[in-house]
Amino acid sequence: MRSIQLKKLKKTLQGEVIVDTIDLKIPSGKFFALLGPSGCGKTTLLRLIAGLEQADSGQIFLGDRDITGIPIHERPINMVFQNYALFPHLTVFENVAYSLKLKKMPPATIKSVVQKILEAFNLENHLYKLPHQLSGGQQQRVALARAIVDEPEVLLLDEPLAALDFKLRERMLIELIELQDKLKTTFIYVTHDQFEALTVADQMAIMNLDGQIEQIGTPKEIYEFPTSSFVAKFVGTTNILSGSLTNLETDPYIDIPQLGRFKVHIPQRKDWMKEGCPVIMSIRPEKIFISKKEVQNFSNVLKGTVHSIVYHGRSTQYNVMLPNKTRLQVFEQNEEHFTQEVIDYDNEVYLYWQKENAVLLEK
Amino acid sequence: MAKRECGAVREMKKIFLFRDYPFAIGIPAIIFQMLFFYLPLAILVVGSFIAFGEEGRLQGFTLEKLLFFMRAPYFKVIGYSLLLASGNALLCFLIAYPLAYYLAFRGKRIKNILLFLLIVPFWTNFLLHVYAWFFVLERQGFLNIFLQKLGLIHEPIAFLNSLFSVMVMMVYYYLPFMVLPIYSSLEKFDTRLIEASYDLGASWRQTMKKVLLPLSSRSIKTGFFLVYIPSFGEFAIPELMGGDRQMFVGSVVAHYILGDTTGSLGAAFTLISCCALIISATIWFKLIDYLLKRCVK
Repeated sequence: MRSIQLKKLKKTLQGEVIVDTIDLKIPSGKFFALLGPSGCGKTTLLRLIAGLEQADSGQIFLGDRDITGIPIHERPINMVFQNYALFPHLTVFENVAYSLKLKKMPPATIKSVVQKILEAFNLENHLYKLPHQLSGGQQQRVALARAIVDEPEVLLLDEPLAALDFKLRERMLIELIELQDKLKTTFIYVTHDQFEALTVADQMAIMNLDGQIEQIGTPKEIYEFPTSSFVAKFVGTTNILSGSLTNLETDPYIDIPQLGRFKVHIPQRKDWMKEGCPVIMSIRPEKIFISKKEVQNFSNVLKGTVHSIVYHGRSTQYNVMLPNKTRLQVFEQNEEHFTQEVIDYDNEVYLYWQKENAVLLEK
Repeated sequence: MAKRECGAVREMKKIFLFRDYPFAIGIPAIIFQMLFFYLPLAILVVGSFIAFGEEGRLQGFTLEKLLFFMRAPYFKVIGYSLLLASGNALLCFLIAYPLAYYLAFRGKRIKNILLFLLIVPFWTNFLLHVYAWFFVLERQGFLNIFLQKLGLIHEPIAFLNSLFSVMVMMVYYYLPFMVLPIYSSLEKFDTRLIEASYDLGASWRQTMKKVLLPLSSRSIKTGFFLVYIPSFGEFAIPELMGGDRQMFVGSVVAHYILGDTTGSLGAAFTLISCCALIISATIWFKLIDYLLKRCVK
């Protein structure tokens, strides 16, 4: 388990910049997730680390060793491919034993090592089956076993769960977390699914469509304190309101045309924050409290009409039409079987939020 | 009006015929195959065992004709034909596989041009190829001049009318039959498997041996037998390029079949050589399977 460090890494394909001068340090022994929309270059970045692609410029370090020029088969880095890439002509056992055989391990050792790892993955009854005879989840586990059996320093996972159904994916995520905990190998997990990334990651990075890193942090930091509107919109759902920042020195608020003034909380003064400058405010739907009654102890309040209601099971989503014809999403936990206050279509409602729960972003 | 309806009904019936009995669509092909392949084959087999008397009267069952060929010169002919076919198939494979690999993975923009160049010879007459090779291989031909210019030889070599010229022509003619099936399988090969192999620590050579070759085994076998089977009975190339040094199966069959009174001997020899071909092809099939399986180990 060693860290990976990227220094000014750049990759262009057919004149198009895929990975744009990325500097990134991935700590050793951590579960690191790389999250970005489809086509943002995150897979290319992973392939650069694996050695499947050559960078145009920049360096890749494994620990303090420069591995930029080292060919793929000599890098102690393994990859779990999207759709697994299991060898169809080899049995489960042979697939997993592949890397060990290449290392010229004695057959008896190979046998015990492979058997042990396949037992750990609950595959001991499928040793001599071919990949196409296994279910998707089993194939996934074989791919994982094959990638970790020779104890790589770093494990790369390229959307490994994309082909599984939701229930299985949830279970595999937990298994992955436990596996990483046990092995302490550095895991780099690439996904476009924010749910997966937030679930597994100790640390995560968000990539934008220009092939740059937008933000690095823990899942909580990324979700609660996005530093750009791209991150705020891409991770989770959020409501974006734009206005101008006013009364910066004493009691700051945001002035939104047609809606009014709303108090804001500025934990740390940024350079771009100037009196009267245009800003956007991001509020997560679950941070908003919806009610038909007037309530006192909130810093901000807005009035609107319920436009639509979507029932999700554990929560209910209200889409509320504001006076300026924009819509605001609100999630309310369904804590009780019978709610005291029934909110229905076309009801006039009040939306409340605390100023600390909204994030101010540069426009 | 009534007639028209009748036509429509008949049309409907046809459609139902194909829908309910899907094999019906194969009937023309089956009839063709029966008439022009199985029937002649049956005549050939039966003819090999039947003795004819004077004026073509039947005289009953005989093994005489088969026994006639149980002699060293004919074994030699069959043996040489097997060697020719095996040599040709092996040489074609050795040239075709790297070529197909290059076309499939490295060809990029010139891929289609190269494929086109591979097919183009088929558009010209076969005899033209033979004469073109005469020009290359004759005493004052390109090859001799070239080798003399390089100073590798002083006296021109007689390339023509030798096993060498036969082999050159055979490989030249049969190569595309090996390249095309292998190319088409490599072309749709899942390159992630190659990447996975590298990733797990295999070098290029190990990856070829353990992943690419075994997974293209079907197309290798297809190509191998597309070359092997026809080159066993090849008649024109050994006749034209080989002079009269060595007889091959094709020449012997032609000799007897075209003879005035020896037609049924030709049938018997065809039967014997067919058996030799089937047995040798089975051995090759098993051998290729075995070798490709060993690659993985």
